Amino acid sequence: MAFCLAVTLVALAVQYTDAFRDANDTARANAALDLIDRKVGAGNSVFPDQQLLVEALGLIPSDESFAVSVGPPQPGWTELTADSAEPFLRSFLLPRRIDPNAPWIVCLACDRAAYPGADPVWEGEDGLSILRREL
Amino acid sequence: MTVRAILGLAALNGAYAVLGSSLLWAIRGLPRWSDALRLAGLGYLMGVAAFGVVWTQLLVVGVPFGGWGVVLSLAGGTALAIVTGVLLGRRRPHGFGDPDRHASSGAVLVTAVGVALTGLLLEAMFRAARLQGLQAYDAWAFWVPKGKAIFYFGGLDQQVFTTFPGPTYPPLVPILDATAFHAMGSADVITFHLQYWFLAVGAVAAIAGILYRHVPAWLLWPPLLLVLTVPRVASGLRVPQADVLVDVLFVVGALLLALWLHDGRGWRLAAAAVLFAGAGLTKREGLLFAAAALVVALAASFGRRRAAWPRLLAVGGLVAVAALPWRLWYRSHGLGGEAPTDAGAGGSVDRMLDALRLSADVLFDTTLWSVVPVVALIAVGAALVWGDRRLAGFLAALLGLVFVGGAWVTYSYRDIPITANESVNPIVRYTVAIVLLGAVSMPLLLASVWRSVAGERP
Repeated sequence: MAFCLAVTLVALAVQYTDAFRDANDTARANAALDLIDRKVGAGNSVFPDQQLLVEALGLIPSDESFAVSVGPPQPGWTELTADSAEPFLRSFLLPRRIDPNAPWIVCLACDRAAYPGADPVWEGEDGLSILRREL
Repeated sequence: MTVRAILGLAALNGAYAVLGSSLLWAIRGLPRWSDALRLAGLGYLMGVAAFGVVWTQLLVVGVPFGGWGVVLSLAGGTALAIVTGVLLGRRRPHGFGDPDRHASSGAVLVTAVGVALTGLLLEAMFRAARLQGLQAYDAWAFWVPKGKAIFYFGGLDQQVFTTFPGPTYPPLVPILDATAFHAMGSADVITFHLQYWFLAVGAVAAIAGILYRHVPAWLLWPPLLLVLTVPRVASGLRVPQADVLVDVLFVVGALLLALWLHDGRGWRLAAAAVLFAGAGLTKREGLLFAAAALVVALAASFGRRRAAWPRLLAVGGLVAVAALPWRLWYRSHGLGGEAPTDAGAGGSVDRMLDALRLSADVLFDTTLWSVVPVVALIAVGAALVWGDRRLAGFLAALLGLVFVGGAWVTYSYRDIPITANESVNPIVRYTVAIVLLGAVSMPLLLASVWRSVAGERP
């Protein structure tokens, strides 16, 4: 019993300071981020430019739907962009629903010819844009 | 990130505590205010579990979820518990102090140091959680979107709940998320990390409150603090997923079962039933954990089976009844079951051995859990030899069964590779339950050894 307690106390002396320091470091790192970085969260690792997410939130009304179209990877993309863009957007943009026939298209180097009549309402770098079409 | 959002969350979590404490008062009675305070953490967890279980059933039958519904359900549940308590003749708590326990000044000092160190750590965690962005894959891919869907659409939205990853995962955590959004006034996915901080505070308070009367302070606080600080537990407390909650509900329920085996007080079983029902609707392994705890309790109570078994079976029945509607809902929406690809003996012996080896490697990985599993096993061994053998046998068998359950998960889902990589195999997340149970069992086990050595009744 004394052995268990002694080992626990020694381990606690080491772990407590580590856990306390880690929580403080995390708090400091989080506080150093700006509001958009925090709001976008994991999206910063998915998209080459968080502006796309900010524009999508501002442009697409919350009661409308959107489609996501991903083309060939571009030089500025992260290794997560091609595969994770759609799942991230459908989570991030809720309550906007994802729908392949939606009036809004979040385009990541997509083939614009596949969306006849769709006009860009925002265009960024690395092939990122938001299109709008009349249905 | 506003003060209003934080105050809203604080009020919501206070309401969970009031609901659960009222339930506790109804099933047990709380003679003194000090009892209410000591068991407030347990009351909080019971409130969270009861609220989640009830709203799961309501959402399954199509009751719309909204701010007023939340308020009415919390107020109605509390009122119902109070009326039940009155009908059962419970008396209002009165007075402070604890006549059943005369703490020495040394015990008071240890308690004060334990509370202070825990409070300091939780305060640092509060600051870390307050401005935390959504980072973990499972959190942004399906747990939080499901909560957003309940918040925005008022129910189990078919698109989100059937096409997002993990469609068969139970909805209790998304319900808590949606409730937190209502309490904050928006789907603020930054501040809502504090909801998980409140759950951590409630868990610590529940464990300390349950054990307080059964173990000396110097055996209670070191293991409890240590398990809070080991790397994999400390980092998991801030992640808005279901893992920590399912582990906490299971472990606190198992502690209550262990104490029930010792003193046979019926309210412990009723409280464990609420917690296990919540665990079964928090994550799929919650049902596995609850089943393991009840099976081991059945075996441990064999000597008084005539009185004990009907009660344990009633607990099992309540957990099953609570879990069923959600399973019917997703079945009716064309989703497959949760059964593994090789639930029986379809897999190879090599894979079974590899799965067991992986579980053992993860359990004894000191970079994840420090020395907690090793010390817990020594405590079990010591209690089996010198302490309360029934208690030690119950906890040893439960730890062993949950350990084997983890290996079975890896073995039976053929698409899970034999690796500790958390993105493809859940064994590390699963093992948190074993480590947590081991850590919170240590005070009980070591106290029984101490009493035995000191010549007291175990």
